[in-house]
Amino acid sequence: MKNLSKTPIKPEKKDRTQAWQIILIALFLFYMLLPIFSTYVFSIATRWDRTILPEGYTFEYYGEATDASYFVSSLRNSMILSVSTILVSLVLIIPTVYWVFIRLPQARSFLDVLMILPFGIPTVVLALALVQVYNGTFIGRSPELLIGAVFIYSMPFMYRPIVNAMRSVDALTLTEAGQSLGATTLQVLLKVIIPNIYPGIISGSLLVFATVFAEFTLTKLILGARFKTFPLLLVEYTRINGNIAAAFSVISFSIAWLASILILWVGKKGQGSSAHTPHAH
Amino acid sequence: MPFLLVCLAFEFVPIIFLVRGSFIDKATQQFTLAHYQTMSRTIYVNSFVNSIKISGLTAIIGVVLGTLIGYAIYKLPSEGVKNALISLSDVTTNFSGAPLAFAFIIILGMNGVITQFVFKYFAYELYPNFSIYSFSGLALAYVYFQLPLMVLIIIPAFVGIKKEWQESAESLGANTFQFWWHIGIPVLGPSLLAGLTLLFANAYGAYATAYTLVESQLSLVTLQIGFMIAGEVRHDPGIGMAMAVLSLIIMGLSIAIYQITTSKVRRWSK
Repeated sequence: MKNLSKTPIKPEKKDRTQAWQIILIALFLFYMLLPIFSTYVFSIATRWDRTILPEGYTFEYYGEATDASYFVSSLRNSMILSVSTILVSLVLIIPTVYWVFIRLPQARSFLDVLMILPFGIPTVVLALALVQVYNGTFIGRSPELLIGAVFIYSMPFMYRPIVNAMRSVDALTLTEAGQSLGATTLQVLLKVIIPNIYPGIISGSLLVFATVFAEFTLTKLILGARFKTFPLLLVEYTRINGNIAAAFSVISFSIAWLASILILWVGKKGQGSSAHTPHAH
Repeated sequence: MPFLLVCLAFEFVPIIFLVRGSFIDKATQQFTLAHYQTMSRTIYVNSFVNSIKISGLTAIIGVVLGTLIGYAIYKLPSEGVKNALISLSDVTTNFSGAPLAFAFIIILGMNGVITQFVFKYFAYELYPNFSIYSFSGLALAYVYFQLPLMVLIIIPAFVGIKKEWQESAESLGANTFQFWWHIGIPVLGPSLLAGLTLLFANAYGAYATAYTLVESQLSLVTLQIGFMIAGEVRHDPGIGMAMAVLSLIIMGLSIAIYQITTSKVRRWSK
């Protein structure tokens, strides 16, 4: 019988994997995985400074890490900071993007540029500017100032997924349909648009969460020791006890990876709205 | 609109005040260029030179190796492996700051795994010729997040090079080198330039990794500004502001080139 499937007539030149490809990718994997792997091993090694492999293994550092003073309070502070930033971002960004979509499409490129700007401002510069302007005022060096700063720094991560989701559901048509049935714009936003763009909302929230949870620079420079978050505690321990610091690192990767896995999962369920936006380090 | 007000309050107004402050003498409240003149002192010149050197070097390494690795990944026959490697790049480019710095201390510190491995099997002492707490150590740590970022930027660009082009070039008698030199690299050009500027800006603004690794061993612009905010160095804040304004100009230029080149890429791929 004749094969009726649409195979190309001329057999394509097969892309065989070549040796240079394998070597290059293997070296890349080695570079990317060795630091992570070593941190994991260091967190369970009894002693690992005289030998190539650790002298023994133990989980006691995790016990010490979770018993450390400030462990609970720093996790709590990081949570407070991440969740408040997510809430502020959602409340400010969703209505703005929606409004621009249905009323001011010509402002789209302006908004795009606005969202690129935070990448052009090094975090230390943002911190310096905020500290200089607000020092001595009621908001100076307060958690509220930090939330404002972290919001600016993380807003591109919320913006991209929301814009992609808003575009894919065709917000304008939905709004016109809703209004022709007598709904107000606010009703359409709350009852139609938001339930429809939730994959974007969740992706954006998780990206902001991952970014803010690991945030060190703004927190340290704006609040310093007054508001100890998890990354601040980690840095402190790199100078006190390496094994405990490694255990903290593992905890912080685990949280970040949980967020990444959820982002991938939500992205697959919804539409591909994950943004390869650069981070500031 | 509340969104614009928040941007004004936490971004634009502070930055405007920063620029203004860099030209104002604190004692007399008069216009002055003194803060910028101070920038010619060795310590500040060194900070800028070091920051630009480390950002430029790690950006170039990232672009060259990232493009090669990106091509190796792009050419893989298995979609599954390809996606796994892309996801890995996504995760590792966000692995930075203190956990990254500390991981490099574990592998390349004075008693690190690689340090000991090299000593035992190659009888070579890395220290004191090399140190993770130095320029080259910091560069290794920066390349860690630069490389996967470039992989993520360049893979979509390879998709733009059509297979048919390579075939027709071959049928016209071009060899692989000629194909890449005359067609491949010019088509990739804008993406390579975009990658270079983005990686440069990425490294220039980095603070947490450098703070953990080389805090006082190496003078970088971001570290200097950080010292001034934390009050660890008693200086006229105007000097910090002048450094910040110069940094904004450097970053602004690279982000502008990035924006222009990516819009060109978009036009090409249409």
